[in-house]
Amino acid sequence: MTITLSPAPAAEATSRPGRYRHTQQGWRERLAPYAYVAPFFLLFFVFGLFPLLFTFYVALFDWDPIGERHFVGLANFAQLVHDPRFWGAMRNTFSIWLLSTVPQLLIALGVAHLLNHVRLRAATLFRMSVLVPYVTSVAATTIVFAQLFDRDYGMLNWFLELLGFSHVDFTASVWGSHFMIATMVAWRWTGYNTLLYLASLQAVPRALFEAAAVDGANGWQQFRHITVPALRPIIVFTVVTSTIGGLQIFTEPLLVNPVGGLTCGAARQCQTLTLFLYEQGFGRFHFGYGAAIAVVLFVMVVIVATINYLLVTRIRSERR
Amino acid sequence: MKRLINTAAVVATAMLLASACSAGSGGDSGSSGFEFWSFTGINQKADVEVYRKAHPDVPVKLTEVGSTTETAQALTAALAGGKVPDLVLIQGDDLPKFMRSPENFVDLSTLGADKMKGDYLDWVLKQSTTADGKVIGIPTDVGGMAVAYRKDLFQAAGLPTDRDQVSKLWPTWDAFAEVGKQYVRATGKPFLDNTPTSIFFQAVNQGTERYHDADHKLSYDRNPQVKAAFDLTLKVFGTGISAKQSSFSTGWTAGMSKGDFAVVSAPSWMLNSIRTNAPGTAGKWDIATIPGGSGNWGGSYLAIPKRAKNPRAAWAYITEMQSPAGQLAHFLSQGSLPTTPSVYTDPQLVGRTDPFFSDAPIGRIYTQSVVNIKPFYIGPDDATIGSELLNTLTSVEQGKVDPANAWDTALTNVRNALRG
Repeated sequence: MTITLSPAPAAEATSRPGRYRHTQQGWRERLAPYAYVAPFFLLFFVFGLFPLLFTFYVALFDWDPIGERHFVGLANFAQLVHDPRFWGAMRNTFSIWLLSTVPQLLIALGVAHLLNHVRLRAATLFRMSVLVPYVTSVAATTIVFAQLFDRDYGMLNWFLELLGFSHVDFTASVWGSHFMIATMVAWRWTGYNTLLYLASLQAVPRALFEAAAVDGANGWQQFRHITVPALRPIIVFTVVTSTIGGLQIFTEPLLVNPVGGLTCGAARQCQTLTLFLYEQGFGRFHFGYGAAIAVVLFVMVVIVATINYLLVTRIRSERR
Repeated sequence: MKRLINTAAVVATAMLLASACSAGSGGDSGSSGFEFWSFTGINQKADVEVYRKAHPDVPVKLTEVGSTTETAQALTAALAGGKVPDLVLIQGDDLPKFMRSPENFVDLSTLGADKMKGDYLDWVLKQSTTADGKVIGIPTDVGGMAVAYRKDLFQAAGLPTDRDQVSKLWPTWDAFAEVGKQYVRATGKPFLDNTPTSIFFQAVNQGTERYHDADHKLSYDRNPQVKAAFDLTLKVFGTGISAKQSSFSTGWTAGMSKGDFAVVSAPSWMLNSIRTNAPGTAGKWDIATIPGGSGNWGGSYLAIPKRAKNPRAAWAYITEMQSPAGQLAHFLSQGSLPTTPSVYTDPQLVGRTDPFFSDAPIGRIYTQSVVNIKPFYIGPDDATIGSELLNTLTSVEQGKVDPANAWDTALTNVRNALRG
């Protein structure tokens, strides 16, 4: 968000006359800004930073919440490396993230371009309706999608049968279940990202598009040479946020396949890292092991988000 | 509309009581009320209402926390350092985890549980009694076993429909599979909802030992009874009588409403699940005895946390509502099976029938399945072992694991799960 607002602070800085700095003000006024932001930081320390650091601490223990706890050092992490369930969850997490994020952002970009079209009638209606999936409850969405994808009674398989194909057991297979969850995630977040792109597209002067049209640029050329470059800052933002969100998908795998408890299927075929964490921490009360998974997940999200940020900004600078 | 008013009244009462409680707890530590955590969906309110009517001076604050698992999670969090209730309902599968740390709970024998021991099925009470004789929970109900079948579909397949004749068809699980094959030949449709839940979870609970040996050591990988139940499940799956619909999945619910399978193994609490998931099939079901004759799956316990503010009031509630008479009244109104064998011959229980299941005498059928049970030790890891074995068998049904490798895969999965 700050990226899109970057012109504003710059303007403020230049318009701020130097005399303010020389005025002798009381310590109260100098402390005032800190006092204003303090509530956020206090809450952040209590509910954000402390739990984060405490998780690192718990990860070093064999910790039964209602029984004994022993210091085990890095044993939880060593065990994690040799746990096939962990590597399975890792594979599922990345696969679902890629399957959901990439198409979702590409579609959002295209839809934003279309919604920004000058001759679009009832623009507000269309722009608002893309947000409907976002305001729908995740649980409701998941239950409906699980029924659509059902092996024997789902609508999707009904269509497949009409077309002469045999039924596909989406929930039971690895790729089927990943595809199903990715569809849900994309369905929910595409509209949200579309609106972000649209908001920043509207800041692009119409004259650019008109001039390009006059020069004979077609829709695709306008999209490629005006829309995409204009949106680069917001694209960076959405890539980073959807990476952070996409690697922590939880509700969909929890609810889509309740068979087998917290494993998202009998063979853990769509159990993500967050769900594995939940299973270990709160299903089996292995707080230490759960915390170790959380730490790994945290490190992984930071690394992937950084790589993404670097990649996307590098593409930006190269094209310039 | 009437229900709405009732609900509103209950909510209003609960809120009044809540405010009364919080007002009272400020200064008056000797308050007579208590706080009670239970599950959703079992209509605990009805029991609490009965108690409130009998004791208008005792404020009971009932919180329906969530599912059985969610209630256990909330209890864990509370025991670890939050505000604990005075009384809590724990599902049988979750109990062993809490039994591992008995110091978190009041030893109920200090309150008088030792005098009531004779009232309850010994094998049920044994599960909530520690090795050194501390009683952690009083059993509220058991999940006796039976088989629910569709009379209309049996008739169409040329099978007998009378529940006594059907029960005679399958004294053993092998005979059960034979009936299934006959059904499939006659109708071309699957017979059973699935094999992992309807066969394995029933058969493995019918043995004399489960996942531990007599010395309470883990023996799931060498106990021939576990292996036999596992192999039986694979064998029945091989006959092709399964609809391969995992219990409680969306396909299972849909298949049940549409009559795409004719038989579901039904622990007593499952009846409610059939009733709510397939309301359109009312009157088409009936209930026969389970192959193998006996078995239990499920059941719950009432416990009092150590830090409870008012353990006396909670204990008074237990002694009144979980007495043989109290459990009989609960069975007659709610249908869950008493743990007190003295009422099993009561004419009210024996005569109890259920119109949804063609007036089957559910009291008689289900109590038969629990009186002859030989108790086996249930440890803290039993739930994990059970779900890993079940999941592997489900993978077999879904075609993801070759039946020939299923046992080895299952053992590997259990070992991984126990390590973590």
